[in-house]
Amino acid sequence: MREELKKIETEALAEINSAGDKTSLEALRIKYLGRKGIVTDLFKKMALLSAAEKPEAGVLINAIKNTITASLDGKLGAASQAEEAKDRIDVTLPGVAGAPGKIHPITQTVNEICSVFVSLGFKIVEGPEIETEHYNFEALNIPLEHPSRDAFDTFYLKSTEKYLLRSHTSPVQARFMEKNKPPFSIIVPGRVYRPDATDASHSFMFHQIEGLVVGDSIKFSDLKGVLEIFAKQLFGKSTRMRFRPSFFPFTEPSAEVDISCILCGGQGSGTKGHSRCSLCGGKGWIEILGSGMVNPKVFKNVGYDPEKVTGFAFGMGVERIAILKYGISDIRLFFENDVRFLRQF
Amino acid sequence: MRISYNWLKDYINLNLAPEKLEDVLTMSGLTTESILHKSGNDCILEIEVTANRPDWLSYIGVARELSAITGNKLKVPVVPKIKPSKEKAGIKISIEEKNLCPRYTARIIKNVKIADSPDMLKKKLDAMNLRPVNNVVDITNFCLFETGEPMHAFDLDKIQGGEIIVRKARKGEKIITIDGVERTLADSMLVIADKVKAIAIAGVMGGINTEVTAATKNILLEAASFDQISVRRTARSLGISTDSSYRFERKVDINNIEHSSDRAATLIKDLARGEICNFIDIGRGAPSTKAITLRLAKLEATLGLEIPSVAVKRILNSLGLTIKRSSKKAITAQPPPFRYDLNNEIDIIEEIARIYGYNKIPNTIPNIVEQAKKIPLEVVIEKQTRTILTGLGADEIITYSLLGKNALSGLGIADNTVAEIKNPLSNEQEIMRPNLVPGMLSSMLWNINRKSKDLKLFEIGRIYLKGSEAKFSEKKHLAIGITGEKANWAEGARQCNFFDLKGMAETLLASLGITNTAFKYAANDIYSRSCSASVDIEGENIGTMGEVSRKISNNFDIKETVYFCELSLDAILKYADLEKRFSELPKYPSVHRDMSLLVPKDVLNSDLAAAVKNTAGAILKEIKLIDRYAGKQIPDGKLSLTYRLEYADPSKTLEEKDVTLVHSNILRTLEEKFGARLR
Repeated sequence: MREELKKIETEALAEINSAGDKTSLEALRIKYLGRKGIVTDLFKKMALLSAAEKPEAGVLINAIKNTITASLDGKLGAASQAEEAKDRIDVTLPGVAGAPGKIHPITQTVNEICSVFVSLGFKIVEGPEIETEHYNFEALNIPLEHPSRDAFDTFYLKSTEKYLLRSHTSPVQARFMEKNKPPFSIIVPGRVYRPDATDASHSFMFHQIEGLVVGDSIKFSDLKGVLEIFAKQLFGKSTRMRFRPSFFPFTEPSAEVDISCILCGGQGSGTKGHSRCSLCGGKGWIEILGSGMVNPKVFKNVGYDPEKVTGFAFGMGVERIAILKYGISDIRLFFENDVRFLRQF
Repeated sequence: MRISYNWLKDYINLNLAPEKLEDVLTMSGLTTESILHKSGNDCILEIEVTANRPDWLSYIGVARELSAITGNKLKVPVVPKIKPSKEKAGIKISIEEKNLCPRYTARIIKNVKIADSPDMLKKKLDAMNLRPVNNVVDITNFCLFETGEPMHAFDLDKIQGGEIIVRKARKGEKIITIDGVERTLADSMLVIADKVKAIAIAGVMGGINTEVTAATKNILLEAASFDQISVRRTARSLGISTDSSYRFERKVDINNIEHSSDRAATLIKDLARGEICNFIDIGRGAPSTKAITLRLAKLEATLGLEIPSVAVKRILNSLGLTIKRSSKKAITAQPPPFRYDLNNEIDIIEEIARIYGYNKIPNTIPNIVEQAKKIPLEVVIEKQTRTILTGLGADEIITYSLLGKNALSGLGIADNTVAEIKNPLSNEQEIMRPNLVPGMLSSMLWNINRKSKDLKLFEIGRIYLKGSEAKFSEKKHLAIGITGEKANWAEGARQCNFFDLKGMAETLLASLGITNTAFKYAANDIYSRSCSASVDIEGENIGTMGEVSRKISNNFDIKETVYFCELSLDAILKYADLEKRFSELPKYPSVHRDMSLLVPKDVLNSDLAAAVKNTAGAILKEIKLIDRYAGKQIPDGKLSLTYRLEYADPSKTLEEKDVTLVHSNILRTLEEKFGARLR
């Protein structure tokens, strides 16, 4: 009997192997495993065997059934895959989900700068763009008709009182201090305006970010430490900084802050045969912000006692930082809103 | 200011190469913008002098600073004592405006031989980009750069009436200045005049009528002090800035007048063979500077660095301060007369930090007190808005807050609500934007003209309004604009429409926790009358939405159809709810039923949906429009609408009969109220 069974198995496998399509495979399934199929028949015949033979025969027939089933399933699977393959799609066609839009590079830069300071414990504060001379100038120790105002040419509004468009974000310093008690640390992003003729590097409207920290023991060394964290986070760990003495009416001592040139790494040398770096002009440094210790006169103007509190302030132009970070050639690109520009960021 | 390296060497021993000098000056506060190499081994350093340091606006001033930094000795030219001749000047000086001219000196020099300057002098003026005129004029210019004191030489014989009067100009008084321009003066301006006419605009520029020419024999050399603000106003309103006015605006050392005049007179004697006659000095010098006390503890507390008292004293000495008193705790020092900027302790602290070197101050981290709410809700909402809208495919734009007046044409904005700029630079900066429409449409046009025609743009920005009594207000708005096609190869192309825009707004508002937004038809001049809506939350209008009217598109040269929406972010902020709360998931399955209706065309979806909700009660979870059709098989004046209704009961599995009852109640209501019929 064993040989007979072996023969059935061999024949079945050979037939399955040579079957070409799904239909002939289905026919073979009926031929062997159907209700009147050959293997089904073998189970029926088992009833005629002696009790001693039955268990062995059962095992053998079951094995044949499993082998044939597996072979058929395998062959059928392959056959239907082959059929599916005839209808294969072009997976190289583009996806149909719409492309997401982009956040404006100025907003991205503002967010990036603010998040550095927020992580240091600063609070984001905003203030009005239409300002008074008091907050834009006098409260910040910028006297009327003084040459220190030259840096702050200003748009004025037609009005019976003197309203102007703030020429820097510093007025928010004075406004915030009048309403709050130290200690605090704030960061103030916003639009500012100066009547400059528009060209590749000047715009009559631009964005600034102002920082102010006031407490009972804030020192110049703290200003240096905080700005170093900022510069390294924004421009990379290898960024070096230098603080140059400068003059701003609302801070004293005042400093302008340079970072090592992000193009030449502070070497000053240019690429491809140019003797000077095109970004820093060979100096190795680029100016990124102005800063200093809050001038005691500013504290007095807002009703603080300069003997009891000290603080530092800093301010930077967002467009300038974005231009440096992304290597943008013309400030006007920010306000043309050409989507071919916007979508690069 | 330009500084010639070679010329500077006249006043200090320089053992620094120009590049090193640049660095030293920059790091002490005299920022060097550029170095220009010139022939003859010279180079020009372009340095930026801050408004607080007029004492740096001269070669001696810069050399003095270098001497303080390097310790190299300052070499100020020695001017021999001048013995004035006994001859009477025959000229009288009177100052009518003592406040505007605290000191006026005149030196008479006779029998000068006007000629070209020697090459040595010409070369120096050339380094300053100045054209040589003649020896006398060139000497006054040379002395201005050397000493910082602007001086002017008049032709004495052209001064009429034997008198110099320092007075205010007469209203409308005219003078032709030495640059050949006739200038009309205002009565606030200070002039130098003789008995008959104005001969100079004080501190700004001399007049051609008394100019030193080749024919000049005798001169009057003026060295004076003029009020900063007066000179600044005059120069600004005349639209001129001269080396003289620049210095007077910033303040000229009143105590340096005599030395400068002596220096110029000596040079005129030497180079133009003039005879120095008498010197008239009217007015006063400045009172001596006030001594300032520096507390060493304050110095350390401000800088975060302890600087030894010896070093502090050395720095103060090097800057020309005189130490009056000194203890372990404090040093009292008197600034030199030319340091008008040193008045308070903090000024002294800055000087010490500057000379000691900012880079020697350590970097420390302050003890920053964490703020309770670091990111205000306003900022969170803006951030979320950007995330959602960019996710929906829109690009953020930033447009100018200033506009030309014509940008508002047709927008239905009342003139008296618009904030106007008094001093625009161009006709594109006349007003502040009262809404975000012009910025959006201009950006669209820019892109359409560059073949980017399928656009979804948004802007978050302020608008500016003028209220009554000249009070201005600023409000934060959000604008979204779309135009062009939505197209992909799988689904084909179609024009974008109002509902694409509405969907964006709804998605945004829902993501901010605002679900009860109502859109209602409302005519608005910005939009076409066929497609114009107001957006309301809880009865408050928060914005508008619609298809931009043809008239307005035409104003912006846009031929394409644009859908636009402007919402108040301040209002959104009020209704936004970002609090998240969990509600239990339903335990029992919900039942979906579709309802296809024929309704009269003018029935509003919102009315139908509201009626359905009212009738169904709590069992109705959601109603959704899944099909809308008019055309073939639909009678004229009718619409086919198919709604999908979701019913659920949180306490049990709904039975067929429950749903059928509610569903047929709904149908009856819709029939009665709207004449709807089941299809």
